[in-house]
Amino acid sequence: MSEFFRFYGGVHPKQEKLASKVAIASAPLLERYTVPLQMHIGAPAKLVVQKDSKVLRGQLLAEAGGFVSARIHSPTSGIIKEVTTCLGVTGTQWPAVIIESDGEDAPADPLTPIPDWQEADPTVLLKRIGEAGIVGMGGASFPTQVKLSPPPDKPIDTLVINGVECEPCLTADHRLMLENPEQIIKGILIVARILGVKNIFLGIEKNKPDAVELMSEKAKGTPIQVCPLEVRYPQGAEKQLIYALTKRKVPSGGLPMAIGCVVQNIASACAIADAVIDGTPLYERVTTVTGTPLIAPGNWHFRVGTLYEDAVRLAGGVNEDPAKIISGGPMMGLSVYSLQIPITKNCSGILLLSPSEVNQYQSKSCIRCGRCNDTCPMQLMPGILSIQIENERFELAETWHVLDCMECGCCSYVCPAGRPLVQHMRRAKTEVIARRQATAAAVKKNS
Amino acid sequence: MGDYFSLIIGAILVNNFVLSRILGICPFLGVSRSLKTASGMGGAVLFVMTLAGLLTAMINQWILRPYHVEYLRTIVFILAIAGLVQIVEVLLQRFSQPLYKALGIYLPLITTNCAVLGSAIICADEGYDLLRSTIFCFASAVGFALALLLFSSLREKLELAKTPQCMEGTPIALITAGLLAMAFLGFAGLGG
Amino acid sequence: MQALLILLGTGLLIGLAIGLVVKFFGAESDPLLDAINELMPGANCGACGFPGCGSYAAAMVKQTAKPGACPSMSEETIQKICRLLGVSEEKRERKVAVVFCSGDDEKATRRAFYNGVNNCRDAMQVAAGAKTCTYGCLGLGACARACPFGAIEITPKHLAVVHPDLCQACGKCVQTCPKKLIRLVPASAPIHVFCSSPDKGALKRSACKGACIGCRKCVNNAGENQMRMNGFLAVVNYGDPPPAELAKVCPTGALRSNIPQPKSATLSDGGKNV
Repeated sequence: MSEFFRFYGGVHPKQEKLASKVAIASAPLLERYTVPLQMHIGAPAKLVVQKDSKVLRGQLLAEAGGFVSARIHSPTSGIIKEVTTCLGVTGTQWPAVIIESDGEDAPADPLTPIPDWQEADPTVLLKRIGEAGIVGMGGASFPTQVKLSPPPDKPIDTLVINGVECEPCLTADHRLMLENPEQIIKGILIVARILGVKNIFLGIEKNKPDAVELMSEKAKGTPIQVCPLEVRYPQGAEKQLIYALTKRKVPSGGLPMAIGCVVQNIASACAIADAVIDGTPLYERVTTVTGTPLIAPGNWHFRVGTLYEDAVRLAGGVNEDPAKIISGGPMMGLSVYSLQIPITKNCSGILLLSPSEVNQYQSKSCIRCGRCNDTCPMQLMPGILSIQIENERFELAETWHVLDCMECGCCSYVCPAGRPLVQHMRRAKTEVIARRQATAAAVKKNS
Repeated sequence: MGDYFSLIIGAILVNNFVLSRILGICPFLGVSRSLKTASGMGGAVLFVMTLAGLLTAMINQWILRPYHVEYLRTIVFILAIAGLVQIVEVLLQRFSQPLYKALGIYLPLITTNCAVLGSAIICADEGYDLLRSTIFCFASAVGFALALLLFSSLREKLELAKTPQCMEGTPIALITAGLLAMAFLGFAGLGG
Repeated sequence: MQALLILLGTGLLIGLAIGLVVKFFGAESDPLLDAINELMPGANCGACGFPGCGSYAAAMVKQTAKPGACPSMSEETIQKICRLLGVSEEKRERKVAVVFCSGDDEKATRRAFYNGVNNCRDAMQVAAGAKTCTYGCLGLGACARACPFGAIEITPKHLAVVHPDLCQACGKCVQTCPKKLIRLVPASAPIHVFCSSPDKGALKRSACKGACIGCRKCVNNAGENQMRMNGFLAVVNYGDPPPAELAKVCPTGALRSNIPQPKSATLSDGGKNV
């Protein structure tokens, strides 16, 4: 039996890892890149170039807009054709710049490489992460420099690296581990040096035995413990991963740093290594383009600003009209209606589903079967919450901990009545947060 | 001791005032929309019913029986209960405005609440002495509060459920009350 | 005789007890507050900004709020309250809510098929709704359910329409609409521009046949400052609105009057989400 712990709930969706045997390919240079100015959580980045400026690959396009923000760098050399907006995954327009590539892909001066990172000052390493515009590449896109700067009253003793990739269909992290293990190991050790921790866990799901074997071998002699974890969705969710490896529970409404842990995705670790050792800022990432309508699903190094349309073309195009286009994976991804959306720093997958794979359902009443309660990894009661939310009783939902929901999709996956549970939770969370903000503003106004 | 135990169990569960004797239905249906108001009402009735039980038992023992005017008991009991409720109302208004507002019209309705008068009359009929009367009325009020708490919790859930439009509100509440009464039949024979 | 004495005696004793309790513990009831409470409409809609009619009445008595904030009150009632409070009366203009969109199923195109919770606020979270025009009405009824007076109808072609005769301008729909399409405007204004999209004219036209294409015909034919252009969108100046005849010049029909149609159908699910 595994020496790791079993988190509550979870489901076993079909893996559908169509691209797991396809090596990461380089995407050819495009004629134009549409770079959004917000690919991170926090304040939007502030543009430091103008229309018609010449830019080089890796050059700074936008400065961080605050403490919780990140820099944005150019994916190629060329001219800033337009400062405009682009369609984002939320269906709304995002501020963006369109870069017309000059075909040369000339690099800007790299940030000063730090080859002796093993002895370097941790603050220098941390600063480099901010300079390179690194954000959480597992999907959260939280600015890494901020994540690795916990306040002094929250001491960190454990670093957890997420190589789990529990989301079905996505294979980017898997391929990255197989093809770039040394860089990942170096990245992990850099993060460990910044945080000053000795306990390092690298979690990988058992359905990737080749990755487990390779990473274990490369991690020999380092403090990194490679942990093969049970295959269950959402094993790769931050709180569940921490519990599986350390049996510590993140408090409700709290962050992992409250229990002395920091979690990083392996793609972020790889990007950190690139930034520190080679001085390369973040403007490229591995994305899986997959789905049955595609002719040749695979994994590519895409530069930010590549449109989904370009990515699908690289995958050979489609042999039938997709019924659904998802940015991310099938469990937690966002459904979009157009391929004119650019790939951002946190886009780990583009998934196309054929009409036979998509179910148009009519939501029915909750039958109180309790299946959702059995599968919710956060131990909430999604059925009851959905009834309260349907009746717009958001204050009740708040008391029943709807804000702890991480929208993993396990409840919707098992609901026999076909209820859109995650959509209910998302609605409740927005309403509860909006009300809290309104109350706080009113209190502030009256005081 | 066992005597009092069976008296209490009888009053709370076996012969529950609301669900077995079908007394006090007005506040039972009226204040049971939310658990908060229901518990407030339960508390108020507990207070009033215990004191009313004691007071009416005293009146019965020391005024009505010696002068052989037991036939006046209905009017006199009602007078006493009305006065008591008025006093409780004034005190509530002074010391707990939110509860006073929440109970609203149902507070003076405890006056005409057949549960309070009913418990007084049952004590008089059964010939309970002062101590037994007080205990009996206290236990009956606990049973009343229990039924109220159970019912209001059910109603809070019913509010969120999809009932057919013709059943929404009172109709489904009445059906639920009937089912709850049926459930309490299961206590028959308990406590001897 | 004995019975009568006993009855009287008991009654007197209890009355005395009540009197004593009221004397020592009784709370004063304000006659002014009671009088004003009588005049309140009792809808508890919250448009005045207070959590209920009782709170607003109490605030008016305490002089922390002015009469006139209640949209359901008739002018006569407001004047009565003003006289009771001893404050001067203020004139108030009647407002109505208007949904500034014409895009029903016939006129507007869709860019996707939305399958999810039947509520506009939920649909907004899925790629901002399935309509081609990002600014348009989703027609799923969040505003209609929020209206305490039943003044908003979702037409069979999925467009929200406010019936001005039923609207009390409480503002609940304004807060509910996730696209911010509803605004409170003076009830006396004869015509409105039923479009809110700031996009370019040609783009708007391809998304919706009822859109304002920014042709400026209304601005050119109206009196000075009666209509103005907000980018590519025409807007009525509610301080000096143009006459109803101006609607004839609009080629798409975006500029038209707010004719109250008889209510065709109400929401079939009785106000609960599917």
